[in-house]
Amino acid sequence: MITVRDLQKHYRVHDKEPGFIGSLRSFIHRKMRTVQAVEGVSFNIATGEMVGFLGPNGAGKTTTLKMLAGLLHPTSGYANIAGFTPRERHHNFLKTITLVMGQKQQLIWDLPALDSFRVNQAIYEIPDDEYQQTMREFNEILELDGILKQQVRKLSLGERMKCELAAALLHRPKVLFLDEPTIGLDVNMQVRIREFIAEYNRRFHATVILTSHYMADVTALCQRIIVIDKGKIVFDGNLSLLIEQIAPSKIIRIELAHPVTEVQLGHFGQIHKHDGLHAELQVPRATTSAIAAQLLTELPIADVTIEDPPIEEVIGQVFAKQQITITSPQLEPVNMVTS
Amino acid sequence: MKASLNKTRVLLEVWFAYMSAYRAEIVIWILSGSLPLIMMAVWIGKANTENGTVNGFTPSDFATYFLAAWLTQQLAVAWVSWELDYQIRLGELSAKLLRPFDVMWEHVTQHITERLVRLPFIIIVLGVGIWLVPDTQLTPGILYVLVYTCSVVMAFMIRFLIAYCIGLLTFWFDQATALDELYFVVAAFLTGSFAPLEFYPPIVRAFIEWTPFPYIIYYPIQILIGSVSSADILRILIVQVWWISLFALLRLFLWKHGLRRYGAFGA
Repeated sequence: MITVRDLQKHYRVHDKEPGFIGSLRSFIHRKMRTVQAVEGVSFNIATGEMVGFLGPNGAGKTTTLKMLAGLLHPTSGYANIAGFTPRERHHNFLKTITLVMGQKQQLIWDLPALDSFRVNQAIYEIPDDEYQQTMREFNEILELDGILKQQVRKLSLGERMKCELAAALLHRPKVLFLDEPTIGLDVNMQVRIREFIAEYNRRFHATVILTSHYMADVTALCQRIIVIDKGKIVFDGNLSLLIEQIAPSKIIRIELAHPVTEVQLGHFGQIHKHDGLHAELQVPRATTSAIAAQLLTELPIADVTIEDPPIEEVIGQVFAKQQITITSPQLEPVNMVTS
Repeated sequence: MKASLNKTRVLLEVWFAYMSAYRAEIVIWILSGSLPLIMMAVWIGKANTENGTVNGFTPSDFATYFLAAWLTQQLAVAWVSWELDYQIRLGELSAKLLRPFDVMWEHVTQHITERLVRLPFIIIVLGVGIWLVPDTQLTPGILYVLVYTCSVVMAFMIRFLIAYCIGLLTFWFDQATALDELYFVVAAFLTGSFAPLEFYPPIVRAFIEWTPFPYIIYYPIQILIGSVSSADILRILIVQVWWISLFALLRLFLWKHGLRRYGAFGA
């Protein structure tokens, strides 16, 4: 469904020193430099796949999504989505995709969301019966009743985001680019939006690329992740594989029947936390089961759980390690036609 | 065809609802475009001090001319360069570019619906103007009003497309709307809002004739007040179509090349 090869985006920007003198200098001589926002990104995504696109701020995630949605013209490289070249913005391509940006909105601010929906229904030429059915389906999951007739500016952030999603998906696109769709939302609303995306993917077999700073979004929705840093892909593969590669340890969380000393605990692994009857130990992944069994026999254990380290920590390590082994699938070459 | 009509109907309904919410602001915009009314007072004052005429224009001639100028300016006004400047610089254009629809048509709809909200206020101001200056006759008959309507729609299209082209320059320059400020100054003199073009030296008048400016205000006025022959009317309408075609092509060129430079900033 999505084929991307060596996609690059370079910007020319001008630097300006602050203050009046800086303004004068900039007026006489503009200092220009090239920012390499995306540096040769390549991947394939199959129909119906949900992929998490992760990376620190400024890594090039949003720029890549904008190129795939046809908003930005790539400096070089090849992108093909459902048989279309995004930058050509063919009408049928635009009917196939959607891009939801958590911080940008398409709803008309001073009118009820229903008016924006009507505009989209007309523009995407959605028949009345299909529109009604889609609205019913969205309503089931997003609970839109009661908010559609209120002015958009009077809605809460969560309510607005639900309407934004509904407006963006009204034409039932097959490819979804979701850029921080849950940003600023409370935990309940994040869960609701996640459920909606998962349901949409199941129902319409849609292909989804998701960027989010909330790792829970990614772990709940995506098995495969692409990690991008400084415009380059540093990991592309299964989420559990990344955790195994980057974090060769696990966390054993124990609840004790009686207090024990740190020395007693220290025999089993590195102590992460020790607070009365609760403790967390970091142990090598390969010996986790053996250590857990040993803990159960040698210490007064009331309860024990074994977990992977938090995904935030793992991703942090990916960015910290410049020389990690990249496990990207081998990609077949494609005939590139660049502008 | 049916889909296009449906898009037009829905966009008109929705943007009329939007513009109605801003009716107080629209009244302020109407008042801000009062240069022809001010000039009317100035020229009538001058005529009254100079034996009742200036260059053959009586006070009621000035009232007719400048009320028609004000009406035409109100109907042909376009602010789309500011809208585009905002949408391009702040990345607001992104959401609109994602839809299979040329964003220009939404801008056109916004201008049309805004005009509908303006209309009652325009009629009131015109009525008061005609009542205040004795012997003022805005038009000789309904036929002139019909041809004027056609001409003023084309005047709007010329002005709108000029503003659109200026707005699209934001793809290249940070503050392209400064050009629109310049347009206001130049247009005040060259469209006939400041004085009837008959008052200008022949060489200046000859130059102005080669620009689109007189076709935005001066010539539509001449049609409304019945000062031109049928042959002239035909010529005016043809030249208006020529300017529309030229700026429509320029807009397409700027749009196509500008989109390549679009930064989609802001998210």
